[in-house]
Amino acid sequence: MNDKRLIDVALDALTILLVVLLLAPIIWVFVASIRPDADLMTRSLIPAQVTFEHFADILSRSDFLIALRNSLLVGGSVALLTVLIALPAAYSLSRFTYRGRDAIGFLILATQMLPAVAVLVPIVVIVRSLGLANTLTALTVTHLALGLPIAVWMLKGYIDAVPRELEEASMMEGSTQLGAMVRITLPLIRPAIVAVGTFAFVLSWGEFLLALALITSTDVKTLPLALQTLFDPYSFSWGVVMAGGVVIGAPAVLLFFLFRNQLVGGLTAGGIKG
Amino acid sequence: MSLSSAERAPRSPGDQALAYALVSPAVAVALAIAVLPLLYALWLSFQDWYLLRNPQPIWGGFKNFSALLADSALWSAFWRTCVWTLGTVAVEIALALPLALLLNRDSAIARAASALILLPWVMPFIVLGYGWRFLLDSEVGALHAVLQALGVADTSSVLNDPNLALGVIIFISGWKGMPFMVLALLAALKSIPDELYEAAAIDGAGHWQRFVTITVPLIQNTVVIIGLVLGILAFYSFDLPWIMTRGGPQDATTILGITMFKAVFTDLRPAYAAAISVVMLLILAGAALTLLQLRRRD
Repeated sequence: MNDKRLIDVALDALTILLVVLLLAPIIWVFVASIRPDADLMTRSLIPAQVTFEHFADILSRSDFLIALRNSLLVGGSVALLTVLIALPAAYSLSRFTYRGRDAIGFLILATQMLPAVAVLVPIVVIVRSLGLANTLTALTVTHLALGLPIAVWMLKGYIDAVPRELEEASMMEGSTQLGAMVRITLPLIRPAIVAVGTFAFVLSWGEFLLALALITSTDVKTLPLALQTLFDPYSFSWGVVMAGGVVIGAPAVLLFFLFRNQLVGGLTAGGIKG
Repeated sequence: MSLSSAERAPRSPGDQALAYALVSPAVAVALAIAVLPLLYALWLSFQDWYLLRNPQPIWGGFKNFSALLADSALWSAFWRTCVWTLGTVAVEIALALPLALLLNRDSAIARAASALILLPWVMPFIVLGYGWRFLLDSEVGALHAVLQALGVADTSSVLNDPNLALGVIIFISGWKGMPFMVLALLAALKSIPDELYEAAAIDGAGHWQRFVTITVPLIQNTVVIIGLVLGILAFYSFDLPWIMTRGGPQDATTILGITMFKAVFTDLRPAYAAAISVVMLLILAGAALTLLQLRRRD
């Protein structure tokens, strides 16, 4: 028995060691963002001094603030539109039987499997010929593809789990099907709705390739592009670049851990076999 | 007529119309962002369109495809992408398998660790790319100092070394994708009943024997299927090698995604880039068919 305890403790210790090693590059970004540049140059692992000057620095740059606003705008719109489009679609796929339903479900899921690189060229050409290059509209619409399919499939799973009888009881009392959905089903799946909206926001917030391909002018750049401009080869500070990285990475981390259970459940339910 | 809660016939034509109306915005987005661009890319790949010569595309037949076959830089990018894809998946499996075995225990630390380990997967590429560049920087990089002490790197960063850059970025790519494999393997491991191990232990099988005869066959499918999914993602990579080295030094990290991007934005040949993406898609379709075949077999 004592032997088993000892093995458990040893395995826990090994787990902690491996996780710290694997997460070291991420921890390093966060730590570097609060160290003065002179301290970074020493390459020591332990910070000798803590400072928030890098954050003050990036938050005083107008191009970074513009990018912050643009990212919030695009991310917020993407989250809202994803929910507004995914919710009715999920409800339709879950509650109705009609010709072509399975094909439609498959079409939506298949777009999730399509990598951005695969449609980059036509999207760039189409966006340019529509005169939408360098607009946040183009970025918002293309970012819908990032989270919409998984949102539809996750919400469908949650709606499937709400018993129909609840809606039918409400319809007996005279409400329409849509009325029953809004009054009965919607409140029950609210946590899932918040989770998919958040997920869509986070995916848009960190997206790089489409932004790089569609945006060139400073006033419509998003944060990942602004981070690149912080990286000025002639005069830049690693501390400032890392602080910019924290601004981009922190919301993703925070929101992910708030909704971890819904998202992990959704990923496994979304057709990827565990 | 009783109404079962799983499947039932539509009650009225009005219901049918409502069902289509509710799903149509999502279908419109899928058509606009996936189907239409794919068809347009196919059409574009048969055009002759070099922006410096003709501002509008003209019909070029198989011109792009024959140019593509003769493009030696593209061929080396293709082989590099194969190495990149297989390497990324190999790193993912090599990191994820021991980790999943270690995390498949019922302790508070194992549970916390299996949540934390997802961080590389959720962090945006741009943050991780610059984080690793910082670690490997020849002047301030902590990891560079270690590599230098080990004799792997000399005074300049490994990212500037044409022989090492690809391998280093493949490792980072695998590290980023590893959490997804851990998640899948943990689910597979947890579904193996303890009785199997107990029965084998009674029969006198040792740890290694139990791993080889019970664990390996039961997680094999997960490794293959998730490996294929991650392989497709790796095949279509762009962000990491672009952020870290822009495809350099000397094309050492130029994979197909980067070749395609440069064909549009540097060489101004969108139709040629479209042809590359059509060929990549054919390869993806081949991989996806293999995946479906394998899924059907279990």
